[in-house]
Amino acid sequence: MIFIAILIGCILGAILGLNAPMISYTYSSYLAIAIIAALDSVFGGIASVIKKNFDLKIFISGFFGNAILAILLTILGQKLNVDIYLAAIVVFVWRMFMNLGTIRRYYVEKWSDMIKEKTSKKDVKEKNKTEEKQQENS
Amino acid sequence: MKKGKIAMTITIGIACFALVTVMTMQFKVVNETDIMEIENMQEAELKTELANWKSRYEEIDAQYQEVTQRIEEYKNDEESNNEASRLVQEELEQTNTLLGLTDVHGEGIVITLKSKENASAISADDLLIIVNALKFAGAEAISINDERIINTTDIVNILDGSFVKINGQRILEPYVIKVIGNQSHMESAVTGNGGKVEELQTLGHTATIEKDNDITIGKYNGEIETKYIE
Repeated sequence: MIFIAILIGCILGAILGLNAPMISYTYSSYLAIAIIAALDSVFGGIASVIKKNFDLKIFISGFFGNAILAILLTILGQKLNVDIYLAAIVVFVWRMFMNLGTIRRYYVEKWSDMIKEKTSKKDVKEKNKTEEKQQENS
Repeated sequence: MKKGKIAMTITIGIACFALVTVMTMQFKVVNETDIMEIENMQEAELKTELANWKSRYEEIDAQYQEVTQRIEEYKNDEESNNEASRLVQEELEQTNTLLGLTDVHGEGIVITLKSKENASAISADDLLIIVNALKFAGAEAISINDERIINTTDIVNILDGSFVKINGQRILEPYVIKVIGNQSHMESAVTGNGGKVEELQTLGHTATIEKDNDITIGKYNGEIETKYIE
């Protein structure tokens, strides 16, 4: 369900983005840092969905708040001639890996559970079959 | 529970939509940037270059202004020098004219005197009186037999009036007195009641007065030497 929503969102976004007008090169550094922040928020949202503690208010405020804060920090960094956006990128990417790790662990566990179940079912079936055969033989 | 799940799904979908939109836009910009960056770099280089040239231009312009100003000054100096030298030249010419060191020409009269035979000849005194009268009448240049009358000119009798020396040169009759000045003034100075020329005429000497609109009087040929003027 959620993956369908993500997929539709991505496709529509790509179409709109390709048809959108060009932005000035001057603002692309701000936009890049905003993208990293938003990406972090989306991964965080997916992770929280998996953890089943998703909060709409926190997600939306995080999505916009992080992006705006990142942009403001970048502007401040440019004004101070310090590359503050590097710190923001480090934090966001680190959190992204954490969230991805959560998602990965969940699905890996789910998958391995599925395999275990299947194998156990097979074992049960084989056991049943052998038992039946034994009964027939006997 | 179901409602919350739908809201969650839609929210994440919208978030993804916004994110991917911006991302695609950024991709486009970055794709273009490869060329743009070079251009930007060049632009920056050109900017610095331009700034350099501008400063150099300003420097050179300042120099140029300075040089132009100096040239102007020199020109002014030269002009004033020229002016000064021209004025000096004019003054010199005027002085020379007044001193009688240049040939001059202008309107005036010519008096020709010739002594009566077998009578007392026209003496230097007579010539002096005539010259004096002409000077009084405002004569600007006088010569007697082409001897220019200047401020050092002497008109003297030699050997009891047998001949006359002017400027140390012996001159012979007829005496031709050329005068530059107002013709009627000159004429009236030597003619009429008490006029020396008329007096000479009554004494029987030959004396004629001619008016001439362009008399040329030669310059003083000697040298004016000063020994005692300091």
